[in-house]
Amino acid sequence: MRHALLIGIASLITLGAHAADLNGQQLFQHKCAMCHGAVGMGTGLLARRMKPEVAPLEKREDLSAAYVERAARIGILNMPPITRGDVSDAQLASIATYLSKGKP
Amino acid sequence: MTGVVGPAAVFATEEDRDAYSDRFPIDPHRHRPFAALAPTSTEQIQALVRIAAAHRVPIWTVSRGKNLGYGTAAPVVAGSIVLDLSRMQKIEVDLENATVLLEPGVGFFDLYEYLQTRNIPLWLSVPGNSWGSVIGNALDRGLGYTPYGEHTRNLCGMEVVLPDGDVVRTGMGAMPNAPTWQLHKYGYGPAWDQLFVQSNFGIVTKAGMWLMPQPEVVRGFDVEMDRMEDLGPLIDAIGPLRREGVLQQSPTIGNWFRAANILTTRKQWTDKPGSLSDEVISAIRKQFGLGWWGVSLRVYGRETVAQANLDILEKALNAIKPMSMKPFSWRPGEPFAATQGGWMGVPMTFPMQSANWFGGRGGHIGFSPVLTQSGKLAQEQFNRTYARYREFGMDYQASFAFGERHMLNVNAVLLNLDDPQFMKRVDPFLRTLIADARQHGYGEYRAHIDYMDLVSDCYDYNNHALRRLNERVKNALDPAGILAPGKSGIWPAAHRREQKA
Repeated sequence: MRHALLIGIASLITLGAHAADLNGQQLFQHKCAMCHGAVGMGTGLLARRMKPEVAPLEKREDLSAAYVERAARIGILNMPPITRGDVSDAQLASIATYLSKGKP
Repeated sequence: MTGVVGPAAVFATEEDRDAYSDRFPIDPHRHRPFAALAPTSTEQIQALVRIAAAHRVPIWTVSRGKNLGYGTAAPVVAGSIVLDLSRMQKIEVDLENATVLLEPGVGFFDLYEYLQTRNIPLWLSVPGNSWGSVIGNALDRGLGYTPYGEHTRNLCGMEVVLPDGDVVRTGMGAMPNAPTWQLHKYGYGPAWDQLFVQSNFGIVTKAGMWLMPQPEVVRGFDVEMDRMEDLGPLIDAIGPLRREGVLQQSPTIGNWFRAANILTTRKQWTDKPGSLSDEVISAIRKQFGLGWWGVSLRVYGRETVAQANLDILEKALNAIKPMSMKPFSWRPGEPFAATQGGWMGVPMTFPMQSANWFGGRGGHIGFSPVLTQSGKLAQEQFNRTYARYREFGMDYQASFAFGERHMLNVNAVLLNLDDPQFMKRVDPFLRTLIADARQHGYGEYRAHIDYMDLVSDCYDYNNHALRRLNERVKNALDPAGILAPGKSGIWPAAHRREQKA
């Protein structure tokens, strides 16, 4: 196969428990951006309720950390609650600090 | 159990119980778990099942718990402990052989990001909502749209914790350090992988998957057909090419509503209850340029071969006079629209915007009988199903997804969770659809936790010989009846009293 030739002898690559070492922005990308990125379900639905330019959560200026944490844990409208198995309390706190741009 | 996983991996508050309940429920209280645990290793899972067996506590395993439309993370038996494998996220890619060994917590987005950031020219196949686990989806026989679209067929070799805590590796994995674990699906003797699919015989802690080498080109057509009665001819045009291998992907024919309910909401078109009128349907189709049916057909691989197959495909489609046929062409390095992601192995969540169809809290439950690839029989099944949607006042969403020989007719019932009167109609509607299909020998390929018994009940040859076999295996492997009682209608003796179709 062509790709195998290109890659040569490279073989196994292992991903560890990387999420523990990420900062708020990286955790947002890893845990939230699939829905709240450019073309995700969350951005698409929020664009029906507010100005589309602030529908991506990273563009918002009105989020407090407490609000982000609450919304993630209990869900809002069509956003399901995010379980603590998926995103730990410490990870969510980090994401909330990032999205709130420092507002508690 | 806390001693095994540590207190930071035990979730037992009221909020946790809600979070691990079904998000697209008919009755949100019916399947509430008692708690959830998030182990991080096979050894922890072994210890947990041993404790569960000793105390006869039912466990419901989820890979990431995102199985929306089929129960989300919720167990069949309320009060079960959810084993959430989200934190098991190891990925081992074998570049040369185009395979990956995954733990269950790896999501489609995780694997995609892993491959992209390392410029690894291997593709995954993704389902319409790709929020969940790669392994979990394959274990539930989920579907995608590329030549690797039948996800359960990509499985190759597993590590499984049995209900007594023993660990088995299937296929070539039964030989320690075999370099062929992810290459040969059968090993020697009986092949067990499919026994752990849609079952409750063990907990899959690792599984191999085949990945698709990045193709030299992708080409195809986005086809729209104008009339309701065009379904049969469209199926009859595609079927022979799929069976022959001219078409190697898993194409999915969808009705106009499957595309439109992502883009708009009902209130923008009508305030009348009941199924949408023909006038409203025509107006929405016109607005978005949709046929009654649409399908995206793609050929993948070496350019000369792909183009030759595309020419055959084009001729077959022209013969049935489509409303429109938009060409698609791509080669590595070229950009493509985000809406093309499904055919390019790029995970997505935007199709779940359909949950907002009624304007508030929504969701969907599927009704998905397995059909033949006969256009005539599919058109008849469609006619019956469409009449039932109108009788029960539902908006009809359907797709017809090709396998190599069969076709899955995935119908979605869009839910309006803010309207209790509407929700009361959903359960009788689904039961009617299941009964109608059964009369014609059509059974479902997958079911929401509320309908596992009913669907299993349709597979009743020789006085439910298949169920009796499943339950003999279940009772032999899991005498304490702790693993996912009721999953796929398989009940251990210890829980038999709870069974109700």
